[in-house]
Amino acid sequence: MAVDAAHADGGIPELPNVITLLSHSLHDHPVVAWLHHWEHVLFALIVIAGLCAGAWRFARKPSLIPRDGQNLLELFVEGLDRLLRSLMGSSGRRHLPFIGTLFLYIWCMNLTSLLPGMKPPTSSLNTTVGLALVVFCYVQVVRVKDLGWRQYLDHLAGSPRFDDVKQASMAMKPLLLVIKLFVMAVLLVLELIGELVKPISLSLRLGFNIFAEDVLLAVLVGLGIAAGAALHLPIGLPLQLFAAPLVLIFSTVQALVFALLTTVYISLIAPHDAHPPHEAHA
Amino acid sequence: MPQDYQAMLALTVPLALGIAAVASAFGLGRAVSAAMEAISRQPEAGGQIQTAMIIGCALIEALTIYVLVIAFVLQGKIGG
Repeated sequence: MAVDAAHADGGIPELPNVITLLSHSLHDHPVVAWLHHWEHVLFALIVIAGLCAGAWRFARKPSLIPRDGQNLLELFVEGLDRLLRSLMGSSGRRHLPFIGTLFLYIWCMNLTSLLPGMKPPTSSLNTTVGLALVVFCYVQVVRVKDLGWRQYLDHLAGSPRFDDVKQASMAMKPLLLVIKLFVMAVLLVLELIGELVKPISLSLRLGFNIFAEDVLLAVLVGLGIAAGAALHLPIGLPLQLFAAPLVLIFSTVQALVFALLTTVYISLIAPHDAHPPHEAHA
Repeated sequence: MPQDYQAMLALTVPLALGIAAVASAFGLGRAVSAAMEAISRQPEAGGQIQTAMIIGCALIEALTIYVLVIAFVLQGKIGG
């Protein structure tokens, strides 16, 4: 097992999970090879199944006085609701399902790095870029629905107004018009690239953080096994428990940052609607 | 690849990581000290300031993590 910990591609140490164990014992089976290829999707599906099971068990028949699991779920939902209301005003409540799901899903995926035999799906860029694309599509659809196509493109191009062109002298009109159109085009391209890059930066931040945590755990496990072998113990020392608080904190923080930055991107528009960005706490 | 690329990598990768760590420490120190001053001025806004500080720290850490990942990738190429 210590050999397996140092076995991943490029020499980057990685903890063995259930699928790598399978693929080590059954080398040439095509199903196991396919599972190994898609292991991050498999673990994401396991997390989804766990979350659905929890929701089914505790939220099916909500009682007026919550107990047990329903209490816990209400804690999350109300906390996120308060956070969103403080960031986006009470009109932001319609985004609560999306952002709440994002937060819970990413948080549970990050936390699976602590369970033995599982690999966090967010440690590979495939999962995180997929999430970022979902965020990108959601933000664009929300903006177009709220503002309409024309006003959105107008906002992207920097809200150009042609009054100074209308009031200029006949000689200056074409020149001013050309300059204005050029600036509009450049702004449009830059803003579109910016809209694309922001979710990508979200995904890179999340993916690299969780990947670094995973490698940290793997390196500590390797150290623990080496220490156990040096002291002639039958099993290695559990040195990776020293990193467990760090992993817990950073998993939560990264999930929170992803969800909050999504909130900020959604609420970046609407300077024309003049709704106050901060309302008093309820 | 030049002949002694492994020696080059072994020299520069930890150096890059050290520079990233120093820069991140400067940035995070400024952010956290500003947050502490703000909390000391207005203790009742402590929760909001703490949340904002955590988000700011995560954004600054992300840049250091980028360097860490490149260090991991390159470190696999050292060692014959």
